[in-house]
Amino acid sequence: MNVSRRDLFRLGAAGSGALVLSMTLPGCASRQSREPSHEQGWAPNAWLELDPEGGVVFTLDRVEMGQGTYTGITTLVAEELDVPPERIEVRFAPVGSDYTNPEYQLQVTGGSTSLRTSWQPIRAGAARVRYVLVNAAADVWQVQSDQITTRDGAAHHADGNQTLPYGELVSLASRQSLPDEVELKARDDFRYIGKHDQRLDARAKVTGEAVFGIDVERDGLVYAVVTRPPMQGAWLESVDDAQARQMPGVIDVLTIERGVAVVAENYWQARKAQEKLAIRWDETDAVTKDHKAVFTQYRRAADDSSGDTERSEGDAWGRLEATDNRFEAEYEAPFLAHATMEPQNATAEVSDTGMQVWAPTQGPDMARIAAARVSRFSPDEITVHTTFLGGGFGRRLTQEYVEEVAAIADRVERPVKLIWSREEDIRHDMYRPAMLHRFRASLDGSRIQAWDHQVTGPLIFDWFARNAAAAQYPWAPKFLYNTLASMGRMTEDTFLTPKDHSAIEGAVEYPYDVPNILVRHTHADAGIPVSYWRSVGHSHNGFAVETFMDELAHEAGEDPVAFRLQHLADKPRHRRVLELAAEKADWSGPLPEGRARGVALHRSFGTYVAQVVEASIENQRIRVHRVVCATDCGQMVNPDVVRMQMEGGIIFGLTAALYGWIDWEEGRLQQSNFHDYILMRQEETPEIDVILVDSDEGPQGVGEPGTPPAIPALGNALFALTGERQRRTPFSAESANG
Amino acid sequence: MSISLRVNGSDHEIQSDGETPLLWVLRDELGLKGSKFGCGMGQCGACTVHIDGQAIRSCITPLEQVSGPVTTIEGLATDAGLHPVQEAWIEHNVPQCGYCQSGQIMSAVALLAQEPNPDDERIRRYMSGNLCRCGTYPRIHAAIRAVADGGDA
Repeated sequence: MNVSRRDLFRLGAAGSGALVLSMTLPGCASRQSREPSHEQGWAPNAWLELDPEGGVVFTLDRVEMGQGTYTGITTLVAEELDVPPERIEVRFAPVGSDYTNPEYQLQVTGGSTSLRTSWQPIRAGAARVRYVLVNAAADVWQVQSDQITTRDGAAHHADGNQTLPYGELVSLASRQSLPDEVELKARDDFRYIGKHDQRLDARAKVTGEAVFGIDVERDGLVYAVVTRPPMQGAWLESVDDAQARQMPGVIDVLTIERGVAVVAENYWQARKAQEKLAIRWDETDAVTKDHKAVFTQYRRAADDSSGDTERSEGDAWGRLEATDNRFEAEYEAPFLAHATMEPQNATAEVSDTGMQVWAPTQGPDMARIAAARVSRFSPDEITVHTTFLGGGFGRRLTQEYVEEVAAIADRVERPVKLIWSREEDIRHDMYRPAMLHRFRASLDGSRIQAWDHQVTGPLIFDWFARNAAAAQYPWAPKFLYNTLASMGRMTEDTFLTPKDHSAIEGAVEYPYDVPNILVRHTHADAGIPVSYWRSVGHSHNGFAVETFMDELAHEAGEDPVAFRLQHLADKPRHRRVLELAAEKADWSGPLPEGRARGVALHRSFGTYVAQVVEASIENQRIRVHRVVCATDCGQMVNPDVVRMQMEGGIIFGLTAALYGWIDWEEGRLQQSNFHDYILMRQEETPEIDVILVDSDEGPQGVGEPGTPPAIPALGNALFALTGERQRRTPFSAESANG
Repeated sequence: MSISLRVNGSDHEIQSDGETPLLWVLRDELGLKGSKFGCGMGQCGACTVHIDGQAIRSCITPLEQVSGPVTTIEGLATDAGLHPVQEAWIEHNVPQCGYCQSGQIMSAVALLAQEPNPDDERIRRYMSGNLCRCGTYPRIHAAIRAVADGGDA
């Protein structure tokens, strides 16, 4: 790959007289070259547009689902362009290869990658625009460009008397050439990065004006609901829709691949008619495993196969055989639903030339493939509009709702909005996989000599490949989509397809200084659909690893903080957050009667997080009183957004630790709504104290890393309180292992 | 037969069936999309609006049972600007995804209208009917505390 900087950035003028910068992220250049090149100066995928009236429009290539990209990435633009962030209008990007996330080669918002991958290229793009604006001002004033400073969306002459707003420079600037290299601001010169703390989407979200997927309006819109098989793997045998069709407002009843759709003039009419459908399901091939059966399968798999070696140092098995000072434990993490507050939904409208789709999706390019798969249109005839997302947490990385609405809209003459009920949302989720963890370790005094961790469970990519594989080859004919998905699965961990780390992330990075380490993955898939869930593999590996570390500290007779520090001699960033959290929480200090503290430390998505949880048990209910969280995520763009993400990540983790439970009975999912899939509420929320470490390192993820340590830190606090070890979630206030 | 409905100071004649939940009438007949659908059974509070100043769950309130004037999130601001609770929400960076926040704000406004200075325990209890998956609870509490202490809600 040999792409000059000049090819990555292009400058052009739009019809309105606006200056337009388009760019290709470096990691995407190889894909770009496979597609028709745009010889006419600038590609249609504009990133930054400055108009003669002074307007600045930034096309955001990542979606906003609460994690703060809308504010964060815009702050990067503001910094290098010298325009206040609140004066930049943000638009959500359409599908386009230039908007691909270089980490995945997909247009995906996930993996806490947004600021990490945007940090350099977005600033470099904005700095280039500032450069041509400065040069344009230099031409006007007939001075050297070093006589010009920029501030608040204007160029200022060194004489202190002359100012040219960017709008007046746009036309001249668009005729300048972009520099090959541009110097980015030094940290000391930052005006907004590390300082700007006001969320740019806050006003729209407190007035009700923010448009989520469910809020999309189209002329003549009709509403659809879908009845799906009640069991995974069941199929439609027959449907009697005579009664449903008689119901008020019903326009049509359709059989689509994923179930039976009722289309009506309004949503409530569609729901009422749905109740009148008489459907028979063929349950011959349905999955009938419950949680217990899944773990029976996992245990058998773990017994039968030692699994793939994912990390091996020293001779863990040899050491374990050679000592009696050996400890074993087994942990269980259940399936979990995402339960975004905005249920899954999407809207589609067909015209002569193609289909438009509006969707709250984390993967617009995969949404396009999903729509193409089930409609008469090819991907280039499908436009995907992304809206604000009412929560993501990984749920919106798969595109079932888009597939459904596209199949319906393809056969209905009017624009269609599909809305899932909460019950459908819980029962037809793609779940956080249940996982089994087995550990063996040996101690030599207070030092761990050998560590053997066997992770058993599915690989998420096996389920994710369906639309992801084809999204990487959008020109491929549709009959190849399933083949591409199969090939993607078969070539996992080769040069064709990246390795799927979902099962072992957070286990292979075991940070502690131990001479003999073995981390293994035994593949076992129960046939229950799984997907990415906030912090993914870290959500269960963090729980298991940090709980077993606590067990070893106890066996060694050591303080849990001191024990961890002893094994972190050469890990300064780990040590720092652990020491900070312990200090702020007054780790060794006195506690009110009936309370205890627990600690956990976990690095994920590049970010180091240590948490100390203070808990009690009152009336046989676990109460979390306080969480102290120390975080080192490198440089921060919006420190308060980092704080918000830690708070939210902690509550997400505590919710799983206290309540998270999905189970089946004879193949039928037992949870349905918030009365039985329980989320933490305001009155249970602990005091949360977040400490942010100042750092010169590059920015890392913050959307997910707050979640993993919260679970073991609470479990370890409960052990300190009761002497009962919490080896499965959700935790029990009565007996940990009963 | 039509049903009369007063929303945010405007009168409407609604043709929908009387059993239709108020939420869907507000959203899809009147175009007031700020009130959200979260659960359909009064469990999450995303659909909270006021009837006669009382916070109710519009997803389980049939149109025919609406007995007074309705206020939605769109009706909180006045010519003078945003409601103090909305201002406090911005000030405290409360929203993340934002989906539940209309309901949270409508609950908070109703609470403060009844009790201008609730204690912390009262805030916690009252606001526990509104779920937030992003975990903005600490900031919701802080924002309400600030308005209560400022005394101008």
